[in-house]
Amino acid sequence: MLKLDFLAQRVSHTIWQYVLAVVSVGVALVVTNSLERYTTLRTPFFFLAIILSAWFGRMGPGLLAVGLSTLAVDYYFAPTASGSGSGVDGRPFILLFSLSGLIACWISVQRRRAEEALKRVRDELETRVEEQTSDLRRASEGLKAEIAERKRGEDVLRERANLLDLTHDTVFVRDANNVITFWNRGAERLYGWTREEAVGQVSHHLMQTIFPAPLEKIMLELNSTGRWEGELIQAQRDGTQVVVASRWALQLDELGKPIAVLETNNDITERKRSEESLHKAQTELAHVTRVATLGEMTASIAHEVNQPLGAVVNNASACLRWLAGQPPNLEEARKSAALIIADSHRASEIIGRIRALAKKAPPRKDWLDINETILEVIALARSEAQGNRIALQTQLSDDLPLILGDRIQLQQVILNLIINAIEAMNGVAEGPRELKVGSGKDDSQGVRVAVRDSGPGLDLESLDHLFTAFYTTKPQGMGMGLAISRSIIEAHGGRLWATANEHRGATFQFTLPAGGERMS
Amino acid sequence: MTKADAIVFVVDDDEGMRQSLKNLIGSVGLRVEAFASAQEFLRSKLTDVPGCLVLDVRLPGLSGLDLQKRMAEAGIEIPIIFITGHGDIPMTVQAMKAGAVEFLTKPFRDQDLLDAIQQALEHDRKTREQRAEIEKLRSRLDSLTPREREVMGLVVAGLLNKQIAGELGTSETTIKIHRHQVMEKMGAGSLAELVRMADRLGIPTPK
Repeated sequence: MLKLDFLAQRVSHTIWQYVLAVVSVGVALVVTNSLERYTTLRTPFFFLAIILSAWFGRMGPGLLAVGLSTLAVDYYFAPTASGSGSGVDGRPFILLFSLSGLIACWISVQRRRAEEALKRVRDELETRVEEQTSDLRRASEGLKAEIAERKRGEDVLRERANLLDLTHDTVFVRDANNVITFWNRGAERLYGWTREEAVGQVSHHLMQTIFPAPLEKIMLELNSTGRWEGELIQAQRDGTQVVVASRWALQLDELGKPIAVLETNNDITERKRSEESLHKAQTELAHVTRVATLGEMTASIAHEVNQPLGAVVNNASACLRWLAGQPPNLEEARKSAALIIADSHRASEIIGRIRALAKKAPPRKDWLDINETILEVIALARSEAQGNRIALQTQLSDDLPLILGDRIQLQQVILNLIINAIEAMNGVAEGPRELKVGSGKDDSQGVRVAVRDSGPGLDLESLDHLFTAFYTTKPQGMGMGLAISRSIIEAHGGRLWATANEHRGATFQFTLPAGGERMS
Repeated sequence: MTKADAIVFVVDDDEGMRQSLKNLIGSVGLRVEAFASAQEFLRSKLTDVPGCLVLDVRLPGLSGLDLQKRMAEAGIEIPIIFITGHGDIPMTVQAMKAGAVEFLTKPFRDQDLLDAIQQALEHDRKTREQRAEIEKLRSRLDSLTPREREVMGLVVAGLLNKQIAGELGTSETTIKIHRHQVMEKMGAGSLAELVRMADRLGIPTPK
């Protein structure tokens, strides 16, 4: 359609060029004719018409103008015999005229072409320059847009970073090599290092992070799920330890390669401490209740047994006195002896009743993970160990069977062993103070727990008495701890014993059968 | 006074203990009467002879300390020896303050108990003698006429016959007769003895 329009336009343009040729020749004719009176020159206006026609209409209209002009000149103005009667042959003139006309036409057309070619070249040049300019403009606009975009991005980032500064949480980012790349104000507050100091440091080294599980395991979980949550123990700038609830989120690049970890930490030291003290208080309460019950029972036993014992003493004294009489009263002495026998029986009956009563309250039996049981005790004992500058370490084996037992009783045994170890090491001024609590499998597929200290150790004499009730080496001790511990362990079907370490210190260990076996 | 004249009372709720105490105390020839509770003891009719009470602190119903208080209120003055399975200091202090002779913790040495019993009986015997003597003096005092009592009061106050006569508005001779009667009835051999008697009876005498 467009092409048709263009064609039509083109055709009408051409027609107009021819019309122009005809009209210009006509005008030249009229003008020449009207100037006939003033001049003898007949050709200039025709040349003008030819040049104009050739200029505007190129070769076709030019030639048409030449033809028409030749005809007009020949017809009206050529010095012909017939025309003017001068007798001069007009043909050379016409020939010359048409030749000149052709030349003028050609020159004009050439000139026009040259002009047009020049113009075209100029136009092309201009277009190209324009194009390049606009390209440049576009490029520069794109650049501007990009700069603006980047600036906006930076603003957003800065805003976000500011937002991250607002949060009470500790937020920092570390790259794939654990080098800190971002450190918010919360982190500055919690740990004490400023952003400038922290950025560029390896996070785990800076904060001496203690992980709840081996780091490889944590990283495995982080890489597979993209997240990890857990409790960490970290050091502040002044060395104080804090417990934090930590959440890690993994950032991946387009190829899915981990590039950074966002770590958000919450200080839960206080909460942890109050939880611990609550737990401690509860355990202590349980302990005190038991001790109180034991105390009451002891008092009751003392009274109950004391009566027949007192009677035995009285009757025996009386017996001696009856015998010592002059003469001895044998009948009364015999009666006294009978009373002594009766009283003694009574005493042993009372003891039997108490034993039966104690059997009525057997220990609770629950399924237990011994490591959890140990860790709960460790949590209680840690502050005690720290207070005494003792390094408390655990070495817990993973593949242990569950055991069936009374959690509180077993914890009392473990706590008792740990406290004993701490107290033993307190008596030693020099040397390392190390306390290792370990768990593992015993030979019969049960569980073995060992508490190993670097205290003064044991001598042969105390090894014999260690587990005897009321034997103690401690000024404040009652001498019941190990005796009770052993009876608890034995009630669980296990054994408790002590050995002296080769180098220094002692190891107390007990075994427990794997769940349900040999339970009494 | 022989041993058989005295009685040892035993109050203990534990039968074996009661039996053994009876046996032990009996073995030195003392009479023993045993009771299982404080109420039982209070209901019994006490023989009027020197005695002492061996009392368990912990008793069902009325405790040993309660019984001690009741007896004091009722004016029963029998020395008490406390025995207990587990005595604490406050309990001991309370018992001793209230007049207990001894506080023994079971099981005790037989000699300790027997010594305490002897001591208590001796104490009771003396108290009874003193009480009997005052009783005797009081009956003598009661035999005096009102005028004789008046004269006795003034005599032990240290006044001379003449002064007493002036005080009472009679003659000195009359006073001499009254005075003789007083000395006779009271059984006093001398003025000093009369003054001592007056002192024990609570009649004011010059210091």
